[in-house]
Formats: sequence, structure tokens, C-alpha cells
Amino acid sequence: MSDKKDMSRRDFLLYAIGGWAAVGAGATLYAMYKTWEPLPEVKAAGVVEFDLSLVKPGEIRVIEWRRKPVFILRRTPEMKAGCPKRTVRTSLGDFTIVIGICTHLGCIPNWESDKNIWHCPCHGGEYDACGRNIFGPPPRPLEIPPFKLNGNIIVLGEEGPEYKAMIG
Amino acid sequence: MKELKIFLIIVGLVLVGYYGIEPFAHHEMYGGLPKPDFNYLDLKYDIDIKGNPQNGENLFKQNCQSCHSLKTKNLKAMMDENTAMQAFNVVPPDLSNIAAIVEKHFLFNFIKNPQNATKNPKFAMPPMSQLSDQQIVDIIAFLEKTAKKEITGEKILEDACTRCHSVKYQKIKAFTHPENLKKYLGKVPPDLSLKGRSKTKEYLEAFINNPQAVLPGTSMPRLGLKKESTEKVITYLQEISDPHKEERNKIGLWVLGYMLIGVFLTYAWKKKVWQKIK
Amino acid sequence: MRLIDWLDERLEIRKLIKVTLIDYKVPKNINFLWSFGMLLVLMFAILFISGLFLLMYYKPDSNLAFDSVNKTIMMDVSFGWLFRHVHAVGASIVFLLLYIHIARGIFYGSYKPPREVVWITGYILFVLFSATAFTGYLLPWGQMSYWAAQTITTLFEKIPFIGPDLVIWIRGDYAVADATLTRFFALHVVFLPVLIMIVMAIHLYSVRVVGSNNEDGKPIDKKKEGVPFWPVFMSKEFFVMTVFLLFFFFLVFYKFDFAMDRVNFEPANPLQTPTHIYPEWYFLAYYEVLRGFFFSQNLGLIAFALSMVLILFLPWLDKSPIVSGKNRPLFQIAFWIFILDFLVLTVLGKLPPTGLYAWIGLIASLIFFGFFISLPIIAKIEKKQLEGEKK
Repeated sequence: MSDKKDMSRRDFLLYAIGGWAAVGAGATLYAMYKTWEPLPEVKAAGVVEFDLSLVKPGEIRVIEWRRKPVFILRRTPEMKAGCPKRTVRTSLGDFTIVIGICTHLGCIPNWESDKNIWHCPCHGGEYDACGRNIFGPPPRPLEIPPFKLNGNIIVLGEEGPEYKAMIG
Repeated sequence: MKELKIFLIIVGLVLVGYYGIEPFAHHEMYGGLPKPDFNYLDLKYDIDIKGNPQNGENLFKQNCQSCHSLKTKNLKAMMDENTAMQAFNVVPPDLSNIAAIVEKHFLFNFIKNPQNATKNPKFAMPPMSQLSDQQIVDIIAFLEKTAKKEITGEKILEDACTRCHSVKYQKIKAFTHPENLKKYLGKVPPDLSLKGRSKTKEYLEAFINNPQAVLPGTSMPRLGLKKESTEKVITYLQEISDPHKEERNKIGLWVLGYMLIGVFLTYAWKKKVWQKIK
Repeated sequence: MRLIDWLDERLEIRKLIKVTLIDYKVPKNINFLWSFGMLLVLMFAILFISGLFLLMYYKPDSNLAFDSVNKTIMMDVSFGWLFRHVHAVGASIVFLLLYIHIARGIFYGSYKPPREVVWITGYILFVLFSATAFTGYLLPWGQMSYWAAQTITTLFEKIPFIGPDLVIWIRGDYAVADATLTRFFALHVVFLPVLIMIVMAIHLYSVRVVGSNNEDGKPIDKKKEGVPFWPVFMSKEFFVMTVFLLFFFFLVFYKFDFAMDRVNFEPANPLQTPTHIYPEWYFLAYYEVLRGFFFSQNLGLIAFALSMVLILFLPWLDKSPIVSGKNRPLFQIAFWIFILDFLVLTVLGKLPPTGLYAWIGLIASLIFFGFFISLPIIAKIEKKQLEGEKK
């Protein structure tokens, strides 16, 4: 029969078994962790193509990219933007392409075409035609999604040279 | 020693049971499969003449191109796919690689009498009775010239199967509309996404080789695939229906190795604990 | 202060460990067959966890179920195939463990006084595991899933008066359909596992109260013949567990066809029965008893129902004062005939019920019941022998 001293003595083999079991538990946890990753089809939907020529001057289009609204605004000269770092230049003219989520608390701003601004219904934040915050609580301009230009086709979700130049 | 005896009895009973339920009962149930004949010896016409591909090309244009395209030579079918589908209830295949997929002897007999060769009286292509043996051989020679030498299982599936079968997990839709297929074959043919897993290799081989012999009354025609193309297309079907097989086999080795170490560790500890007892 | 001390002050953790694990003595003379109880707990845990991860992607809808299993889980989810294989093979192997566990109980007389409650709760657990396996088998919505559910639910039709209405009520439709799938799903993932956990707790508690049986079937002197549950018994348990897991994972990775039938990779088609349908291997013996009385369907059904409940009454069928089969030569003969007969029934259950197989099936079914009839007789003979010795 085993006595108390034997039990309290460090039992190397028992520790080895414990370590061995921990490795197995770790591997199992890793497999579990992997099952929660987005499925291939979800990842594939992370890249969206859009033909910019579908947008008329002064018009704004909203497309879904990674479950977020992306505003595509084809600017007119009256908008007097003057924001080279926030302008997507194509043969069709200049575009504003931003993620339509207010940088304050995540509401979706509305376009007010008479004033050429985005107005956020939640706390009254405003953004100009470039997507810069001009009034109210928003701390930052609207975010620009990673994009690539193939002629007049914009590919959201991939980083092209134009995008790198903008953020750089 | 006594525990080893108990263990061996259990192992014995499990093995006998397993053998009885799996291989033995399955064999009793499904019986043997007919042996595939890749030479299609039941078809009577033999070819012993040489073909002329130049003549074959002209003959192809005159006799086949009204329905069939041949993309490798940029020959378009005169009838577009939709018109053909309305007329025959099935889209006629492109013939670019047909000679690489289908066995030659079968092809010859097929052109002479498709219904007989496919063992399907409703087969859509009419017999080419206007052609002489020499002319058929010429066309075959032409088709052999255009066909790729190396052809993948994926391509064989596309050329030989997806005219009627969909493979939805690969996002492949049958070329022919389901409604037309229903009119042509009586029902929509099954999806092939998992056939590589729901059927054994032997079954698929025997079935593709001679559908009527395996499943009497089926509307699937015999398509005269070569042994090689049959094997390739089955391998491909198995791959798409079990895409993680390699990963599984590899991880399996690691897990078994890990468990084996565990067996040694726990055995050592057990021995250590128990040596103080008794 | 160390964590253990902190916990000890609040939860008496040391005392708890001492009472539940160290002071709990199990007999020294038990062989590895006594490890199968813990093995079943382990297997249940594995099924629970793998099932949980399948549940995250499974869609209980007759239009979506098949693809959610065979495409999403088996092809798209990282390691989804692993969890499915573990769950499918586990569900099958758990019955092998159950049968060994039960056979050990029969051989060593573990159902005899004072262990009747252990036996009854164990029987309830077996029924619950069977129900869980049956409801779970429908969920992939393959051809075998569908037709197994269809034929088994049809059996209820034969119950007098209420049968036909009862079948429709169980299915929620005129045949197995979406309504059946969703209710089976609810039972499989919530109700039955919870019940299993509750009954398992009672089962384990009842074992703690009366103590483990042992090879000789005699109550032990715990001071002299008992060994502490921790670490002595568990050291052996760990060894048995790793050997079992080695075997289990071999099946999971390389030999899973027996638990994942090929036919079930065809989507369910209510208009076409597969050429051969058969239950999973663990139900084959009862299925063969059902078919065994091939000349009368009603007799077969009665036999089928009896074959599943008779075992519950072992403590009252076998009232022999000798507990362990080790000391009962007559009982041993009956036992081994019964085991072999069960094996024969299992194999026959998958063979076509024609010609010679039909007759062997009938004989084997009769032998199955013969075992239960022989028990009171053997008990009587043994009682007489004992009385003779005393005189």
C-alpha cells in the first residue's frame, strides 16, 4: 500500500503524463480554433469588383464589401474637393471611395445632395465630398478601403499602387 | 497473464464480428461486379484500314459540324447550343478530345450505330449510315490528330459527364437544362459531387464501362471510355469527394505516434504505482 | 498563499479530494474490464465536444442538412472532417464499449444485490445512448439516414389501435420529412445528452454507495483488499485509456467506413429505397431477432421488443446466491453461448434473410431467449447444490 510520503513526492512520470496530455489538449484546441475561421467562400467574398462607369457624375452608389457599405461618389467640379490624398483618379474623372461607417460610433451617414455632404443621423456628424469630417463628434475622416484599379474596374479588398500612394 | 487472455478474447470476438459485418456481409449483399471489358468486344465491326486525317477533316465539316464543335481547330457547330438542346434535349459534345477519351474500336462502332454501341435505344445521335467504313476511319484519324495526348481527369469529366451530370460542390452545372434532361432520360441524372465516396472504385469502373450490366434499365448510356480515362475520371471523382484525404492520412500518423508515446508513459507509471501493491 | 490553500479554505478542496478519490477504495482483484466505465465517460466527453463543433455548422433543414454536413463540414471548415470522423466513429465505438461493459456486468454478476440500482440506471443509459444514436443518425439526411428512420418508425405502426396515428405523430408528417428532422435534432443535441448526464451521475453515485463488484463477487475488507481510487486505480485506467485511444484514432483516420456507410453519402431520396438497407452494427442483433421469426411478423415484433427489455430483469431472473460467474460452471456455459449467439445474430442481421440464413436466424433468436430462460433454472440448481453442501 502506498503511504503519504510516496504520494507527495514529485512523481516524474505523472508530470510527464500531464505534459503529454497538455500537448494533446493544445493540439485539440488548435483544431477547434481553426474551425472558427471564416469559410473559404466568405474569404472569397472579401474581394469585390465594381465597374465605375456605371456611376453618373454627381451620383453616389453604395456597394457591400465585407458586410460593410462602401460609398462610391463620382465627383462633379462644383464639389471643389481639393483632397488629392483622398481622390481616386480614373479616365472617367475623380471619385470618392470610402467605407460608409461614421468614425464616431459606427452609424451609416446619409448623403445630402443639396449641401454635398454626408450627414450622420446618430449624432449629427458631417463629412464633405472627400469624406473628411467637417462638423460634429467624428474624430477621423471616413476610412478608405484597400482597392486596386483595373482601368475603370475597381477591385475592393486588394491593395493597388493607387491605394498605397494614398495611405503612404 | 489472465488479463492478456481476456484481452485476446475480446480482440478475437471483435475481429470475427468485423469480418462478418463488413467484408463478408457486404460481399453476400452486393455480390460480385461484372468484369469491365475495355475492348468492347461485343461490338462487331473491326477496323483494319488506315485513316487519312485530311479527308477526315473535310468529312467532319460535312457530316459532324452541323451539331458538334471542335474547339482546338476553331470549328464552331452550325447549330448553337440552345437550338440543339431544343432539338435533341441534350447539348452535343465538343469533339476536340474525344479520341483521347473514348476507345477507338468503340468509336468506330458508335459512329455506325450509336444506339447499339451505347446500349441506349433513346440515344440522341442518329446513326451515320451515309458514311462508308473508310470515311469513318478517316474521321477518327482526324479526331485522333486533334486530341490532346495528355488529358486530366477533370477534363474527362467535363467532356464525358457534365453534359448531363452536375457536380455542384465544384460549381459545375450540367450543360443541358434539367427539364430537357428529364425529357431525354426520364429523370435528372444524379449529382456527381460525392460519387467517389458513395461508390467503390470497382463499382464505378464496372458501371461506367457497362451501365446496363450493373444497373439494368438505367438511362445512362455506355460511353466507351478507355481504361486509362475511366481510371483517371474515377481518381478525380474520389479526389473531389474526399479532398482532405492526404491531410487526414498525414495527421493520422502524428496522432497515432502521439498516442503510442502515451501508451508507454501511462504503462510505466502504472507499473511504478502497482509495484508497491500485492 | 497558494491557490490550493485559498480554495481549501473556501471549498474544502483537500477534504473533497481525500473523500472522493483517495479514501475511496476499490477492490484489488478487478481486471481491466472494470476500466470500461471511465472509458465510457471519456467517450461521452469526446462525443459531446466533437458534437458541439459539428453543431456550429450543421443546419437542421431537409434542404440544407446534407450539404451542411458533406460540403461545409467535410470540405470547407478547417478540421471539420476531423470532428465529423471522431463523432461518427465515436458514436459507433461507444456501443462496443457499452457491450463489453454490460457483458462484464453479466459475467461477474454485477447486477445482483445490492447493485440492482446500478444495473437499472445502466440499462436506462443504454436505452438513452441507443435513442441518441438513432436520432443522430438521421441528421446527415443521407439515404441510409432517411430509410433507417423511415423503417424504424414504421415499426410503431404495428401497435394495436393507436399504431398508424402514432407513427404520423412521431414523424409529424405522413413520411419522414423536415418535421421529423427538426424534432430528432432537438432530441439529439439537447434533451437526450442532458438526460444521459443526469442518469450517468446517478449511476456513478450508486456505484459509490454500494462499491465496485470484483472478480470473486465477494464483498471485500476495504482495509486489506482495497486500493485507493487515486492514484492506484486511475494509473491503470490511464493506461487502458491510452491503449483504447490508440485504437480509436486508428479507426478515425484509417478505418472509418464501418461507421460512415457509403450509401449515406447519397442525399436522402424519399422516392427511391437503396438496394440494401440495414441498421448500424450495434442494432443488428435486435434487428435479426425481429426478422428471425420470419413466418410471423407479429411474433417477430414481440420478440424484438422483448429482446431489448429482458436484460433489465436479470437481477430477478437470476437469483442464484453465487455472485461471480467465475464460480459458476453452468452459468459460464450459458454465458458463452449467449455471447457467441449475440455475435451470430449481429452478423446475420446484415445478411439477406433468405434460405439457410433465415433458419439460422430463427435458431439464433431462440437461443437468445433461451439464455434468459436458463437463468432461473441454473439458479435453482445452484441453490440446491449449496444446500446439499451445507448438510
